[in-house]
Amino acid sequence: MNSTDIQIALCGSAGDGTIAAGDILRNAVAALGYRVICFDVYPPEIRGFGKCISRVRITTEQTYALKRQSDLLISLDDSHAIPHAGEVRTDGAIIYESKPVGHCPEGSHMSSHILPGQIPYGIPLRELAEKATGGARSRNLVVLGVIAGLLGFSPVPFQKIIEKKFAKQGPAVVSRNQAGFQSGYDVGVNTFKLDNVFCVPQESNPAAGKVVMLSGNAAVVQGCMDAELDTFFGYPITPATTIMERLATAMPKRGRRLLQTEDEISAIAATIGAGYTGARSATATSGPGLALMAEMLGLATMAEIPCVIFVSQRGGPSTGMPTKTEQSDLNAALYGSPGDSQRIVIAPTNVEGCYRCAGKAFEMSEQYQTPVIVLLDLYLSNRYETVTLTESGPPFTLNANKPLRRLEAGESYQRYAFTEDGVSPRAVPGDSGCMHVVTGLEHNTLGRPNDSEEIHTAMSRKRHDKLLAALHHPDFTVTKRIGHSGRIKVGILAWGSTFGECLEAMFMAHAEGISCASMKVVMLSPFPVEAVTQFMDDCDQVLVPEVNYEGQFAQLLQGILARPVVRLSRVPGSPMPVELILSEIRRLAGVV
Amino acid sequence: MVAQVSSSASAPHRYVIIGNGVAGNQAAEGLRDRDPQGQITIITNSRMLFYNRYLLPELFREHKDWRALLAHPAEHYEKRRIRVLRDCWVTSVDSRKRQVMLAHNEAISYDTLLVATGGRPYLPEELAECRRLIHPFGSYENALAVRKALPENGSVVMLGGDMIGLDLARTLLERNFRVVLVTHENSFWPHQPVGDERTKFLAILEKMGIEVVDGEAQGGVVAIEKGASGLPDRRVRFRQGGDIYGDIVMSFYGLQPLVEFMMGSGTDIERGLLVGTNLRTSDPHIYAAGDVCQIWSEKDNVYRFYYGHRNVRAMGAVAALNMTGGNEHFSTTQDEALFQNEQGHIDSPFWAYD
Repeated sequence: MNSTDIQIALCGSAGDGTIAAGDILRNAVAALGYRVICFDVYPPEIRGFGKCISRVRITTEQTYALKRQSDLLISLDDSHAIPHAGEVRTDGAIIYESKPVGHCPEGSHMSSHILPGQIPYGIPLRELAEKATGGARSRNLVVLGVIAGLLGFSPVPFQKIIEKKFAKQGPAVVSRNQAGFQSGYDVGVNTFKLDNVFCVPQESNPAAGKVVMLSGNAAVVQGCMDAELDTFFGYPITPATTIMERLATAMPKRGRRLLQTEDEISAIAATIGAGYTGARSATATSGPGLALMAEMLGLATMAEIPCVIFVSQRGGPSTGMPTKTEQSDLNAALYGSPGDSQRIVIAPTNVEGCYRCAGKAFEMSEQYQTPVIVLLDLYLSNRYETVTLTESGPPFTLNANKPLRRLEAGESYQRYAFTEDGVSPRAVPGDSGCMHVVTGLEHNTLGRPNDSEEIHTAMSRKRHDKLLAALHHPDFTVTKRIGHSGRIKVGILAWGSTFGECLEAMFMAHAEGISCASMKVVMLSPFPVEAVTQFMDDCDQVLVPEVNYEGQFAQLLQGILARPVVRLSRVPGSPMPVELILSEIRRLAGVV
Repeated sequence: MVAQVSSSASAPHRYVIIGNGVAGNQAAEGLRDRDPQGQITIITNSRMLFYNRYLLPELFREHKDWRALLAHPAEHYEKRRIRVLRDCWVTSVDSRKRQVMLAHNEAISYDTLLVATGGRPYLPEELAECRRLIHPFGSYENALAVRKALPENGSVVMLGGDMIGLDLARTLLERNFRVVLVTHENSFWPHQPVGDERTKFLAILEKMGIEVVDGEAQGGVVAIEKGASGLPDRRVRFRQGGDIYGDIVMSFYGLQPLVEFMMGSGTDIERGLLVGTNLRTSDPHIYAAGDVCQIWSEKDNVYRFYYGHRNVRAMGAVAALNMTGGNEHFSTTQDEALFQNEQGHIDSPFWAYD
C-alpha cells in the first residue's frame, strides 16, 4: 500500500464544534502534505439544533469529489449521526461517545446501529474532555486527537492550528484546547486498531508551488484580491455570505472599499455604478438575490458597463433550501433579465477554478464591457480543497480596458461606436473630452436614445457578437475534455461542481474497461458550440448529469445543438452521487 | 428437524444474549432457527465479532489478521438478522423490568435473557498488584501483544498452568520458545489431578520440554518485577527467596465466572449463575450457558461447572431450545479426564474442538 485515500465524516449538532473540528482536521492534514477535499453541511439554524456534517477526503493522489462511503464516521451527537452509520464502508470505523450524560432511550445510542462489518470505537469523549480541560466543550478536539492517534498523524500540525485558532482567546484557552486534543491523541495511539483505515505518511513537495487550503468562496476572494478588485457591494445571503465576509477583512487592508447595502438591488446598482466610473467592482449573491438583480443586469448589458456577479446557487425556488446545494439557477443566470440581454456566464468546476474564474471574470467584464456572472453553488462555495498556487504571481491582467484613441479636433466621442470586434473604446467620468450619455434606453453610438429599427438591430448585434470573442479569451479554459480520446461509447458533459463527481465516475468506468470521456463546459454563455459539437461527434451516447430538476444544462444543449442527450437530473440537496453517474455510464455502455 | 416457534408478527419475541462466545453464538443460531421472527441481540464488550479463542495460540505459528479468526463473516449476522452490540458493557440486569442496563445509560429490553459471559482469568489476590507486569492472553489483542513482546527464542514464565496456558505452551515449544511453568494448585485446571497422577503429568510436561518449577515448594510467588539491566525483562520472586527470570510472565490460574453485573438481579448465584439442567436460572426469563453457569448435577448432588468447547456449545444449543419453549436437559457427553496421548504428550478433552 503506497497511497492514501480515506474519507472522514464528522457529524454533530449545531454548537458541538463539528465544523470547527473539520476545519482543524483539513488544515492539519494539508500541512502534512496530503491532498484534501472537504464539504460541510450545516443547518439553516445558528445554534442549538440541526445537523452539521463535515466530510474530509484525504488522499495522496489528485481526486475530484467526495466518496459516497466514508472510512471513518465520528459522532458528536448520535441522534444526528445514526442515520449516517450506513455510510461507513465495511471494515471502516465509527467513533462515538461511550459515556453520554443522562439516560439513552433504547436504540438511541450509536452502538445499536453499527453494522457487523464496521468497527466500533466507543470513547469516553466527554469524560476525557472534562479531565483535560475542566469542561465538556472540547469534545470536538478530543475526538480530533483520537483520529490523529488512531491513524498515525503527527500531532504537531494539529497543535499548531489549535494554537492559531484560539490565540485571540488567550494562552489559557489555547492550552486547555491543546490538552483536550492531547488527551484524545493518547487514547487514539493506544487503541488497538481493528479497522483497515490507513494513512501512508506523506511528504510535501515544495517544488510544486505554494499549497493552500481554500474553500470555493475563499478562492473567489483570493481571485478578487489578486485581480485587484476596487469595490464590492453586497447583501448577505447563504451560501455567498462568506465571500463578502472575507472581502470585508481583506479589502480595507489594501485600501479597497466594501459596502454592505440595504438589499441586493442596491448592491447591483452600486456595483454597476462603480463599474461605470472605471473601478473593478463586484457583488455576490444567491438565487433569490439574482432574481432581484435581474432588472439592473439588463441596464449593465444595455449600457455596456463592466461588473462581476458571483452567484452561489442553493436549493430553490424562492427561499428554498438555503443550506442545500443545487444547480438550478442556470436559466436565471443565462436569461434572467428582460430583453435580449446576453451576458457572459462562467462556472468553475473546482476550487482552483473558482480562483481563476474570479480573476478572469474581471478581465472579461472589462474587455467585453458586459456583466459577467460567475456561477458557483453551495457545494463548491463551501468545499475545501488543497490548491497549489504558482509562485510566479497572479495570472490576471489588471487592466483589460480597450485603450481610448486620441480624438481628432472637433471629433465627438462615441461611447458606443461600431468597431470590428464590437467593443467600443470606453471612457470613464473624468476622461477629458469624452462626455457622453449613458442610458438604459436603446441608444445610438453617442449614447443618445434612439429606438429606430436600424439602430436597435445593429446595437443588438453588437452586444451579442462582441461576446463571441470570449470563447477564445486568453489563458482561460472554456471547455476541457478528459479521458479517452477518439471514438467513445459514453461522453459525459457537465458543468459546475458536478464535474468532479463525473470525473470520479469516469475513472471508475475506465477501470471497468468502459470507453468514456468527460467534458467540462466552463463557459456557458456565450456557448462553445464548436468544442461541444466536436465532443458529441465522438460519443455514441452523451450523458448530462446535473443537480437540478429540469435538466437546465441539457435543455441548453438541446436548444442550441438540437442533439439528443441522456439526462441525469437529480435534486437531492447534496452532490450528485458518483455511483449514480457510474451506473448510468454502465447502462449506456451496455455493461450490466 | 427443529420445530419452529413463531413470535407474533406485531411483537417479535426479544431475545437478548449477554456474551459473544461459543455458548452465546450457538444459542443465537439456535434461536434464529427456532424463531425466524424473533429479535435477537448479542451484547458484548468486545469490539470484534465472535472469533475462535481456541485458535489464538496459532498466532505464534503464523500471523493472522483478526478477520481470519472470525467464526462467521459479517454478512452472516445481517443475513441471520442477529444484532451484535459490540464495545458495550453491561452494568446490571433489572429482572423486574426485564432490562439489561448498559454502561452508556441505555436499557435493552428483553423477553428472555441468556447470560453467556464466560469467565475472566483468575489471578490470586497476592499477585493483583503485579497485574501490569503480567501479559494476559484472553483476546486477539492480548495474543498479539505477547507475540510482540517475546523475542526470538525468548522465554515465558507461565504461572499456574491451566489447560488454556498449557495449550499455548505446546505451541510456544514448537516455535522454540522456552517455557518455565511455576506450578500452583490450579495447574491443569479445570482438571484436578492429585497425588501420583499430578506427579505423572508434571513429568510428562518436562518430557515435552517445559521446565517445571514447583511453586508450592517455593512458598508461592510473592512478586513480579522488572528485570535488571542485562537480564530478561521480568523477574519472578518466590516466598522462599528464590527467583527466576523470563522475557514475559503470563498467568494461567483458571477462569472466574463473570457474574458481577447479575448481583441484584434476583437470580441465585454461588460462584457462577445457578441453573437447572434446563439451564434456566431462578428467574424464569433468564437462562445461563457456558463457563458462567453452575449446573445442577443429580449425580453429584451439587451445582458444578462443565468446561470445554463441546460442553459449552451443547449448552448454547439447549438454552436456545428451552428459551423457545422446549424442554431439553443438558448432560455432558465429554470425557473429563486428562490423559497421555500416543505421542506421549499430555492431552485433554478440554482442547477438543470441532
